[in-house]
Amino acid sequence: MLRTTILLAGLLALTGGILPASASNAKRPATTPGHHVHVIVIDQMQYGPMPTDVHAGDIIEWANKDILEHSATARDGHFDVDLKPGTSGRITATAGTLAFFCKFHPTMTGTLVVK
Amino acid sequence: MNKPLLALALAFGIASVASVQAQTPPAASPAPAINDAQIAHIAYTAGVIDVTAAKQALQKSHNKAVRAFAEEMQRDHTAVNEQALALVKKLGVTPQDNPTSQSLASGAADEQKKLATLSGSAYDKAYVDNEVAYHKTVNGALSGTLIPSAQNAELKSLLETGLKLFQSHQMHAEHLAQSLK
Repeated sequence: MLRTTILLAGLLALTGGILPASASNAKRPATTPGHHVHVIVIDQMQYGPMPTDVHAGDIIEWANKDILEHSATARDGHFDVDLKPGTSGRITATAGTLAFFCKFHPTMTGTLVVK
Repeated sequence: MNKPLLALALAFGIASVASVQAQTPPAASPAPAINDAQIAHIAYTAGVIDVTAAKQALQKSHNKAVRAFAEEMQRDHTAVNEQALALVKKLGVTPQDNPTSQSLASGAADEQKKLATLSGSAYDKAYVDNEVAYHKTVNGALSGTLIPSAQNAELKSLLETGLKLFQSHQMHAEHLAQSLK
């Protein structure tokens, strides 16, 4: 009985150990309920359409579908998200106007308003 | 127009004329003026030339904006050429050397020798001016000859992506050239 209990406990511990690890590896971590994720797609040296109706606390995600490395770098230095080809990166939006550019390609720029 | 660009313009001019001539007589399947293996070679060569120019700029220039531009050219053209190599490997195509690639390479070597004799702001200006002209010509060749001639859809798509990227490079080079005046 004791052995069975230990085995069971071990299995549970293993399962418990694996599941949170999988969740933490997911590209989309859980967000606070009510806060939206806004995705900006990057392709062919351009930021896609800027999301509207963004509120403080929402998640801004840049998804790089281009064949080159890009970044989303704040003009005011508040964030600098490196984006290898085929990857994405996130920030939590703060109220104000977010002006950003690609530090590798300065002709790529974007601005969005966070309420 | 400098020598390598003249060579490129002439080569593509001839290719375009040959393409028109090939289409004039009614034929069941007119052969393109240049084939995919040659197109891949030309596009790859054009990328290598710009990477080489960028490496020289990083050795010679002390201007922060010029160096940032050169780093962008080195990084982007290397990445695109890696994609091109992966694609030709996947397609089982061996890039085929051709007179256009040869003219490009020899012309670029001459240009590099010329730039090597310059220094300081004279070098910066000459390098950036050449980058503007080079991207303009390569982009014209891509849209006017290479993309329309490409037979394989994946090669055509990569060339189209390359054109978008290089148009952005041209814009960056033009802004930089303005700031160096």
